[in-house]
Amino acid sequence: MAETVLELRDVKKVFSDGTEALKGITSTVKKGELVSIIGSSGAGKSTLLRSINRLNDPTGGEILFQGKNILSFKRRDLRQYRRHMGMIFQGYNLVKRSSVIQNVLHGRLGYMNTLSGGFGHFSKEDSFYALEVLSRVGLKDQAFKRADELSGGQQQRVGIARAIAQNPDILLADEPIASLDPNSSWNVMNYLKQISKEDEITTIVNLHQVDFAREFADRIIGVKAGEIVFDGPPAHLTERKTQMIYTT
Amino acid sequence: MSRSVEGTLEQPLELPPRTENKDLLGLYKDWQRRKKMVRKNRAWILGIIFLAVVWSWYATEFTLLYLISGAGNIAAFIATDLFPPDLSSIPMFIGPALETLYMSYAGMVISVAISLILAFLIARNMKFHPIISFICRSIVTFLRAVPALVWGIILVSAIGLGPFAGMVAVALSGVGILGKAFSDIVEEIDMDQVGAVKATGANWFQVVGQSVWPQFKSGFVGWSLYKLDLNIREAAVLGMVGAGGIGIVLERSISLFQYQEAAMGILMIFALILLVEFTTAKIRERIL
Amino acid sequence: MSEMKQEKNRTTKNLIITVAAVFFFFSLFQLDVISETFLASFDGLLGITSTMFPPTLDEPIDIFGAAVESLQVAIMGTVFGILFSILLAAFAARNLAPHWSISYAVKTFAAFVRAVPALIWALLFIVAVGLGPTPRILALAVNSIGMLVKIYAESIEEIDESVLDAVKATGASKFQVIMQGVVPMLLSTFISWSVFRFDINIRYAAVLGVVGAGGIGWELVRASRMLAYDQMLAITLVIFGMILAVEMLTRFMKDRVIQVNAKASS
Repeated sequence: MAETVLELRDVKKVFSDGTEALKGITSTVKKGELVSIIGSSGAGKSTLLRSINRLNDPTGGEILFQGKNILSFKRRDLRQYRRHMGMIFQGYNLVKRSSVIQNVLHGRLGYMNTLSGGFGHFSKEDSFYALEVLSRVGLKDQAFKRADELSGGQQQRVGIARAIAQNPDILLADEPIASLDPNSSWNVMNYLKQISKEDEITTIVNLHQVDFAREFADRIIGVKAGEIVFDGPPAHLTERKTQMIYTT
Repeated sequence: MSRSVEGTLEQPLELPPRTENKDLLGLYKDWQRRKKMVRKNRAWILGIIFLAVVWSWYATEFTLLYLISGAGNIAAFIATDLFPPDLSSIPMFIGPALETLYMSYAGMVISVAISLILAFLIARNMKFHPIISFICRSIVTFLRAVPALVWGIILVSAIGLGPFAGMVAVALSGVGILGKAFSDIVEEIDMDQVGAVKATGANWFQVVGQSVWPQFKSGFVGWSLYKLDLNIREAAVLGMVGAGGIGIVLERSISLFQYQEAAMGILMIFALILLVEFTTAKIRERIL
Repeated sequence: MSEMKQEKNRTTKNLIITVAAVFFFFSLFQLDVISETFLASFDGLLGITSTMFPPTLDEPIDIFGAAVESLQVAIMGTVFGILFSILLAAFAARNLAPHWSISYAVKTFAAFVRAVPALIWALLFIVAVGLGPTPRILALAVNSIGMLVKIYAESIEEIDESVLDAVKATGASKFQVIMQGVVPMLLSTFISWSVFRFDINIRYAAVLGVVGAGGIGWELVRASRMLAYDQMLAITLVIFGMILAVEMLTRFMKDRVIQVNAKASS
């Protein structure tokens, strides 16, 4: 039994307009696992993922990482915690006017002091590392192009590279393939899975396509209206259970 | 989903092999070279700008104190001398304000008419004699680079005080702007479409009406209205050099230290500009 | 239904065109152009054109000095205009302003400043701070603020927050997020509008001298008062040359930046 890296205890989120996005999520994630969270849009998948690295703040419960409740973290601790969490977004969210390599190097910002990071004085080691990560996602030859010159699939691979450059313990991927065509989707998921296996990075992926979740995940969590309604290996996700997750 | 899950599992997941450090070194060096290139260029340009600013700062004997005293003085001036605007002077400004409007509008129409002809002479795809094109292009460039107010000064001393000089001044600067804009639009006309209409045996008017005009229209209307917006601003101040309109009265008020009257004049200009911009925006909406 | 709408549209269009044409002739009539003024002034023009040639510079050094001073005024006015615009834009942008009412107030202020022509600002500043280059610098700065605050604020409002989230998620500090995320997004819009504003300011600087002694505009007024048409032509040519030279220089620098950046990213 592998060790637990992340533990969610009764995590709740109520937005300021009164919508209850998360109604008490309790779960644990083990090291090296590739967990896929599925559910219809609006079920709270995104809110859950963004709560884990505190891009939005849960209004209740606890999230434990390395035995500490990260919800109590303030500025400095939060910064240090966030560099353990690589995040990949649906819209890639690259700084479009900056070069590919610059975007990957952003993954190192959490390790640098504020000034040298702000002015972009990346060390030689960091630069080498970023180039290496880029070549791992097959984009070595595009390193100096502007990010917006790449195709969608390529941009998402830059997004993966940026997350990997953080040397993260956990990868959070929020609908990484929702804006891609089927071919690029397979491609991006392949890269994601391969890298997380090679480096033993725990990965949590939000997906709304069940097929992808079935193929790539070790474990699937079904979320509906802010609550967990399924948790188990892909094999246990029957057609009926899938329907139950997606019908409101 | 076009590909089945089984189908992809048969394909092994292949990532590029881990790159050797040697390759990375080359890449790293290439990157440093590129960064240096951009940095050097940036340093040059920032250097030029910096020198230009220092030189100007020194020569104009500007001190930051002026910023503070300037802001303070102007605020005090506006609060004590300009306010409240002298409402009783409104009738005095109405006639000149209308004159400004007429100047701007007539000047715009004249410049549109002249620019239309010049545009076709200039546009490369119309294939007029290159010397004619070149001369017309030079005239337009010259007219564009010289501000309307300069034309105002020249025309006032050449043909006398009054709105006529102002109208010609805005028309001249208008030809500078519209001549270039229109010729650019003409150059973008799709000649294949024109050829297709010609091939149907249409006469000249039909060709222009059916193929040239539809492509020309939106740019033509847009730029003409934009020029009207500009004209009203230019015409408002042309009076200060004697070229008619509201500027004359405003100038007189200021030189007679009648600041509350002047404030009313400024408000009238403000209102005139807003009124014209509102109208042109509405027309643009309707016609385009 | 749609036919009626089309018919209505056509009627409005025709109406606009008719009004436009009528208003043109009405304007000409009001300006008293159609009468003998036109012919008289045409005669005047012909007579003057002949006295304009050859263009003469009496004291050439003075004229060029005045042109250079106008250039310096344009540079200073642009620099301060840009600096203050950036400062104000931070308060004018809805997503940055401490409160929406502040954003609204700054934007209204900018709209008012924009609607008052630069020449009037120059007049006001002459009254407020006296003669010399200073009132012209301040007038240009204020006039630039009216335009740039609006444009800067709009581009700040268009910032893609999700990209900033991504940089934040790497553990970057606030300063790093601004420098590595916000600045690259805004820089090119800011620069191209600032350069455009400089091109406008150089034109204004050439004429602002008209209302108060100084710069090349004043030289032109002086020559026109003496009815020295040959000098007026020469000064106009100098203004033309100055504006063209500055425009070519800024275009050259812009092209160079684009070229180098393209080479560095190919």
